[in-house]
Amino acid sequence: MAEPMELLCWGGDWDLPSVHTDSLIVLAYAKFSGAKLAVKSIDWTWRTITASVPQLHYEASTVTEPTQILNFLRKQRFNADYELTAKQGADTMAYIALLEEKLRPALLHTFWVDADNYANLTRPWFTSHSPFPLNFFVPGRQASLALSRILLTKAESPLLNITEVEGKIYSEAKECLNLLSHRLGNFHFFFGDTPTSLDAFVFGHIAPLIKAPLPSGQLQKHLNQLDNLCQFCNTILKNYFNASAEKRTDCSPTAIHDPVDANLQKLTQLVNKESNLIEKMDDNLRSSPQHRPNSTPPS
Amino acid sequence: MSLAAEAFVSQIAAAEPWPEKATLYQPLKEDQILLSDSASSLAVQTFLRMCGLPVQVSCCANAEYMSPSGKVPFIHVGNQVVSELGPIVQFIKAKGHSLSDGLDDVQRAEMKAYMELVNNMLLTAELYIQWCDDYTATEISRPRYSSPYSWPLNHILAYQKQWEVRRKMNAIGWSGKNLEQVYEDVSQCCQALSQRLGTQPYFFNKQPTELDALVFGHLFTILTTQLTNDELAEKVKSYTNLLSFCHRIEQTYFKEHDRESQSGSSRHSKGSLP
Repeated sequence: MAEPMELLCWGGDWDLPSVHTDSLIVLAYAKFSGAKLAVKSIDWTWRTITASVPQLHYEASTVTEPTQILNFLRKQRFNADYELTAKQGADTMAYIALLEEKLRPALLHTFWVDADNYANLTRPWFTSHSPFPLNFFVPGRQASLALSRILLTKAESPLLNITEVEGKIYSEAKECLNLLSHRLGNFHFFFGDTPTSLDAFVFGHIAPLIKAPLPSGQLQKHLNQLDNLCQFCNTILKNYFNASAEKRTDCSPTAIHDPVDANLQKLTQLVNKESNLIEKMDDNLRSSPQHRPNSTPPS
Repeated sequence: MSLAAEAFVSQIAAAEPWPEKATLYQPLKEDQILLSDSASSLAVQTFLRMCGLPVQVSCCANAEYMSPSGKVPFIHVGNQVVSELGPIVQFIKAKGHSLSDGLDDVQRAEMKAYMELVNNMLLTAELYIQWCDDYTATEISRPRYSSPYSWPLNHILAYQKQWEVRRKMNAIGWSGKNLEQVYEDVSQCCQALSQRLGTQPYFFNKQPTELDALVFGHLFTILTTQLTNDELAEKVKSYTNLLSFCHRIEQTYFKEHDRESQSGSSRHSKGSLP
């Protein structure tokens, strides 16, 4: 077996393996298709500004962009879409186009353009995960890229003003989420019982929206009302990203109940994680070769 | 227009019936119109014919500037002006004509998804080929786009449009693609459409919907427009069910009107389908 494939992506937080949509798509697809990837996060390296993430390195070649990476993985015979019919394959392409056109502008706006979210969540996160002196440049650059993308694709030419476009992109995004919810219905995944590339794309787009603690998130509130999509996201996290899904609580009640409850639950999760860590350390100590088996265990 | 204003306007629109003198504006057919605009215009005309609503096609050199959103085509109905297929479909729905009422929620989701696929892939590929491919831009797009104007306005407008389109391609990440990859994308899009259509007469079996109008508009224009090479048309031709789909719609909706308003008859194009 050749050396494993290496994936460069942004790091994880908020119970997700990565906070970046495109990286999440690739990570999810790799889990679904059984591809073993050596994941390297670019946090705190110079790659935060030089690399276009996600990036897959294999032998001598480099592949970027989620669609290209997925094609590459399929050629390496890691194919999660093997059992789809031709029509389902066509539907996959169509729904991915829907996500890109309708949902992505609103996601970009929520994280990068909305002043509240950007100042309180996105910029601090990216600043704290970039090395000095890049932490001054990385968030600003991403934000201006996001803004220009929204304006160029969605704004009609006489009104290149973000406020007038906002209403339109959020209503389109809500409609898109409703359509996805209708399509998913009561199933676990979009095409039956096994996840496919469409599931990876949808997961990559909605997981940050569900999990990020956004100060002002009208789109997040709308998404939390769509139970089947929340359930879908949690199922994938629980089954495929086990390490970060140990003590998961359901996302939907947390957002609607008052903040005291949410704080309490977050505190409980932290305490549980701490106790897990302590248990693991304990186990390591017990099984270490220096430790004599018949002496009393440490407290 | 803000959402509230749009809702208000559509309420007003619903009150009036379809007038006799509705007009559709597009750039000059013989000399000026380009592939992407021609495709959008044909899609809207097909949709209106499918709804059975008469409309006159008026060709003006400054259609793009008259349009409220800067995009062609747009229709002038009563005292409202609406541009682009999406808003036009909603406007006509407010008037009581709709092709997609019989669809359930899942089918409607599919229809919207496929329309986005066509917009995302086919339309973007058309724009790329017209403006980002240097040879096509120099030989065809810039001369045609600026033909109604005199020097130096023609140069300025043509380059301005080219710069605008290239900026947009940059923002969505298509500027890194080369022509081969774009043709490949078109091919994949056609494959998806072909697989979805299968052997049915229309995408949602018996009744045509706005998706059929949109797909017909783009495919017919690609097949009948002469570019610097035929590769784009060849990609579409390799899917026989899409070809027969185009023939069928042409026969049903356009032949019966003596081919006057068929947009395939510009000098730029090869006439009817091969």
